[in-house]
Amino acid sequence: METQKTEYEADRFREIKTSLSVFFSNKGAVVGLVIVLVYVVDALLVQFFPQALGLKHPYTLVSNYVNPVPQPPSASYPFGTTFPGVDLFTSILKAVRVDLGYSLFVVLLGAFIGTVLGVISAFAGGIVDEFVMRITDIFFSIPYLVLALAIGFVLGRTLDNMALALAIVWWPIYARYARGQALSIKEMTFVEAARASGSGGGKIMFRHILPNVLPPIFVQISLDLGTVVLVFSVLAFIGFIPNANVPELGYLASLGLNYVATAPWTVLFPGAAITLFALAVNLVGDGLRDVLDPRRRS
Amino acid sequence: MRLWIYIARRLLILIPTLVGLTFIVFALTHAGGNNLILAEYINPRLSGPAREEAVAKLTAELHLNQPIYVQYFYWLAEVLKGNWGYTNTPIFSGSVTQAIALFMPNTLSISLFAALLIWVIGIPLGVFSAVNRDSVGDNAVRVTSFGLYSMPIYLIAVALILALGVYLKVLPFAGVVNPLLVSNVPWYHNGISYPTHILLIDAIIHGDWVVAGNAFLHMILPSLTLALGVLAGVIRILRASMLEVLDQDYIKLARAKGVPERAVYNLHARRNAILPTVTFFGYTVAGLLGGAVVVEEVFNYPGIGYWTTQALLNNDVGGILGSTLVFGLILIFTSLILDIVYAFLDPRIKY
Repeated sequence: METQKTEYEADRFREIKTSLSVFFSNKGAVVGLVIVLVYVVDALLVQFFPQALGLKHPYTLVSNYVNPVPQPPSASYPFGTTFPGVDLFTSILKAVRVDLGYSLFVVLLGAFIGTVLGVISAFAGGIVDEFVMRITDIFFSIPYLVLALAIGFVLGRTLDNMALALAIVWWPIYARYARGQALSIKEMTFVEAARASGSGGGKIMFRHILPNVLPPIFVQISLDLGTVVLVFSVLAFIGFIPNANVPELGYLASLGLNYVATAPWTVLFPGAAITLFALAVNLVGDGLRDVLDPRRRS
Repeated sequence: MRLWIYIARRLLILIPTLVGLTFIVFALTHAGGNNLILAEYINPRLSGPAREEAVAKLTAELHLNQPIYVQYFYWLAEVLKGNWGYTNTPIFSGSVTQAIALFMPNTLSISLFAALLIWVIGIPLGVFSAVNRDSVGDNAVRVTSFGLYSMPIYLIAVALILALGVYLKVLPFAGVVNPLLVSNVPWYHNGISYPTHILLIDAIIHGDWVVAGNAFLHMILPSLTLALGVLAGVIRILRASMLEVLDQDYIKLARAKGVPERAVYNLHARRNAILPTVTFFGYTVAGLLGGAVVVEEVFNYPGIGYWTTQALLNNDVGGILGSTLVFGLILIFTSLILDIVYAFLDPRIKY
């Protein structure tokens, strides 16, 4: 018994080692991971130690109406300023926290609802399955940006509601994905063994099927995070939040839109910040996908 | 014969989807509360008993005092009759159907132009990338499309405006036409051209080639932005599907029997690789329509998307839900058509 357990642990250890070596052999994924970590550290610093970055007002934008016209990058304003006199460099530092936090919230909530519904739908089959799948069809029949805009509008135009609306639009992707995974796992022999040994439906669903559905879902989350952060900033860019005073990258980019011909940095710097983040997340997602790909592991 | 059964089944699925779409739009209309709906009909300057009287009259007229599921059928009946409510935005105020008739042609024209660009740029690049796998060219295509995929669409728009509009000054980037050109044209009033509402086509109908050329120039940047926003996904899918096809036995057979490489790619592989991307075009359409909202806003291009953002900024529930409904209908019917076309094109599809 004892040797069996250590053998199992050794297997487990070897598997994790293979996964890590597959991930770290992908140069793009490693670069992506480093960039993502920089963003995460920045977000955590703004949240917990704003003084460390020299931020006096970490959760709001600081306007300067004495000199509202965008100023070019200089020693005191490394990325220049945007309308109305907002320093871009510190605002981008603050905005990373907002964008990162909210997009994580959107993806995790969407993934949670979708995975639960997808697994239940695959497991129950029949009319439940049909019903859930028809609902996802309906969600896919409206361009998600427009649907999120409409739902968010009805909920009320705030940052929280914008994130909630996006999560409501985002779960069907996960429901379909989790259902597909669960359907194939359901047919595997270990599920049959569990059923033969007398496990109930709920136990099979949550103890045996769900843990096997989760790894591909996590890869999907990392691939989706890059898209969600873009959609989130796009919604803020088109003016979803009235009189916003929040540091959000899309909103920051929209502030300088009227000056873009003479002051291109007002849009380019916030835009580049979000592009870099989305790029890094996508690279990490690609690396994680390789880890789960059996052809790459052998 | 089985093809027809498939099409019949596909049409049958259309019914719950349409019911679901209308139900979502209806539910959202009402989730905002009756006041938002009434605000579209009542003069905001009305107050006191006169306002209450108007509210009571409208509540009865719009059946707002009935149970919610009864209201849905009243609402659906009105929608089917073509009464989609009212919209009140700075760029247009009137009935929603009129607004759609006015703005839809512009959105359709830039979306179709963008779809054409995707077809012309995306397919050759995707095929090239797969055929020259892991070459310098393939890596360049992949890195570029990965970068584009990670860019928010407004950044693409602004980058194009700066490069082609501001620095090179070769393309215009605001509105549909240079206003000086149409200030004295009889078929153009208040930013609306007649009879089709598509300036390019109207100008050609009236034989005004200068205006037509200018309208076309104004279409290029919005369409190019839209195309670039969706292109990365198309190239990725096409490359993967081409690689898969090139690995098939019949390609090996073709090579073994001495078919020239060029013919293998162009005759044997490419057609089969494009097939899966046809269903992927559903995604493309959704991307184009969603992207249109942002692109039209940045370029001040008066289409459905511009109207949607204006409605959002002015808390106009009629405009937002009217556009949600029309976007949903377009997407549902384009994916229906694409599925049927796909079933005709690919004999291997399982019914």
